[in-house]
Amino acid sequence: MSPVVGLARRAIVRWEALLVVMILAAGVWSWTLSSFFLRRANLLDLATPYIFIGLVAFGLTFVVVAGEIDISVMSIMAVAAVSIAEIWSAGVDVWLAALAGLGVAVVLGLANGLLVGLLDVPSLAVTLGTLAAYRGLAYVILGGSSISGLPTGFTDVGGGYISNELPDALLVLLAFALVLGVLLHATRFGRYLYAIGSTREVARFSGIPVARVRVTIFAISGLMAGFAAIVYLGFFGSVQADAASGSELIDVVTAVVLGGVDIFGGSGSILGVLLALILIAVLRNGMQLANLGGATQDMVIGGLLVAAILAGNVLRGAQSRGLPWTRARYARKEVTQAETPGVHSSGT
Amino acid sequence: MKAPGRPAVSAQTLVSAVFRLRELGIGIALLLTVVLFSVRATNFATVSNWQDIASDVAVVIVVAVGETMVVLTRNIDLSVGSIAGLSAYLSAETLSTHHGVPIVVMALIAVGVGLAAGLVNGLLVAVGRIPAIIATLATLSIYRGLVFQATGGDYVFPNELPQSFQNLAAEKPLGLPFLAWVALGVALVGGAVLRWAPWARDFYAIGSSPEAARLVAVPVVRRVITAFAISGALAGLGGFMFAVRFANVDTNTARGFEFDVITAVVIGGVNVFGGSGTILGVTLGALLVATIDNGFTLLKFSEFWKIFFEGTAIVVAVTLDALLKGRVQDALRRRRRPASIPREQEAPA
Repeated sequence: MSPVVGLARRAIVRWEALLVVMILAAGVWSWTLSSFFLRRANLLDLATPYIFIGLVAFGLTFVVVAGEIDISVMSIMAVAAVSIAEIWSAGVDVWLAALAGLGVAVVLGLANGLLVGLLDVPSLAVTLGTLAAYRGLAYVILGGSSISGLPTGFTDVGGGYISNELPDALLVLLAFALVLGVLLHATRFGRYLYAIGSTREVARFSGIPVARVRVTIFAISGLMAGFAAIVYLGFFGSVQADAASGSELIDVVTAVVLGGVDIFGGSGSILGVLLALILIAVLRNGMQLANLGGATQDMVIGGLLVAAILAGNVLRGAQSRGLPWTRARYARKEVTQAETPGVHSSGT
Repeated sequence: MKAPGRPAVSAQTLVSAVFRLRELGIGIALLLTVVLFSVRATNFATVSNWQDIASDVAVVIVVAVGETMVVLTRNIDLSVGSIAGLSAYLSAETLSTHHGVPIVVMALIAVGVGLAAGLVNGLLVAVGRIPAIIATLATLSIYRGLVFQATGGDYVFPNELPQSFQNLAAEKPLGLPFLAWVALGVALVGGAVLRWAPWARDFYAIGSSPEAARLVAVPVVRRVITAFAISGALAGLGGFMFAVRFANVDTNTARGFEFDVITAVVIGGVNVFGGSGTILGVTLGALLVATIDNGFTLLKFSEFWKIFFEGTAIVVAVTLDALLKGRVQDALRRRRRPASIPREQEAPA
């Protein structure tokens, strides 16, 4: 048991260390393109356009760790953003409107969750449908027009700066990383997710309220999309029904998977997702400095997503079977351990 | 004393009855929509409008036949819209600069481009073991990026294309638009293959239980790659048909088209859990979606409702599938038990 845990832990540590190395490499590349990159103001502002991506990715992390997927998140965010803007333009206080927007987001997430958790419809089919349905809802609410001019006190959440240098949104992201990190890694609820993601049947037999937890994670995912909508409105200052309908979903899924969250459930950390988000931000910033267009950037991020899962699969294969050239050595080790019981627990 | 064999047979008929019911249900829904729109929209029940619907639905059907094969293996292909966009642009661009290229050769090139893209999808899913939804979400973005690289933001306008190509969309042998004949051909061949070709029957086996399929020596990896390759090739053909139908091609051609296709497939009764579904059902599903879409336009409903309607239809269809699956399994369990219990009781006597 414990060699497996030790191996898994080392792999995770290595994965996050690898992300840091990749961030540094991408940073050095960006620095060679423009010395402006290393200015403190630029470094602090680097992630600002991707904060809403990060918040959505945090919510999605809970879903993926439990072995499910939610690809309707950007559509939920769009409905929430459109609702907030529409309610505000009807004369309601903007903060009340934001609260209503969060409520809408939770309800939409809950609808996904009920179909998945109670009726046992596969989450990818449900959220593929609601990806389109919720986007349609955003169009139905706002039509083809756009809303802008929200009050500055509100837009500061996503686009404001403290003493002209430190973006408010970055603090929002870090605060959520902290709270959600504690929820995922240090509470019973969080541990449930790993159990369900590893083997749902076993989790159910262990007395974990699987159905309730599965409904809850989609509500969390919806709620985070709601918070992302607030940041989105602040950063862009206006909203249309087609908000974040392009490569944003790929960015979110890439942040989660590249962050080391196992796409088949059962492992992953908020820290990894945060690092992956920073990597995406640095890479996109670098590609902009290198004058690469949006479509090329999307191709690179798409390739990164595929590469991250392939790497994960190879890593997992190596953990269970050993790399091809070390397989014989691992087999020998197992034999030794079996012959001398007790050695394996102190070995790691 | 009951004959022990009889209940098992009726359980089988129950399963097939459920699936017949699905096709019948779509057929009736289609009929009702046609009647409703004929009454409400004055210009619905005209020959030219039905020819319009036929041309619209033709592209969806062709791509949906390929998507069906992928979904049958318990996978999904989200990249068909991007593949269609890529082949549509390459076809139109090539024809606009080389008027001499025969149209059949161009169609084959379009299919080839799609085939290559589909093969990549298949390899990522079957060999790379990346969940299909993630792999094809990534390639959706990558192939669309390739369209941008190819076009550089350019348009192909209808007047740049050879006259014979422009005329293709308007040709109506026996009153049915040319594109509809293509779709009919693809649907018939696809349906026959799925019904009788042993390698295509494997798609059903893989979708029902990948593990069981592997144990009975179905070459799962090769079959899944084949399914994705066919889906890609037909998406390539679909892109060519897009170019024929609209003649006006740019970087955004067929963007979001994957949802039209998946809606048709899922409404047409192909189970998203894999393992069941027919081309007849998918064709009826595509017709239903296109008819409702057409009726909405004629009745001047907002275009925005269409996306909402499609998404909701997918959710409702998959939810019904999940509920139905539970029902059928329960029914099978109940019906098998009386068949086995008496046999054990009779054994000592």
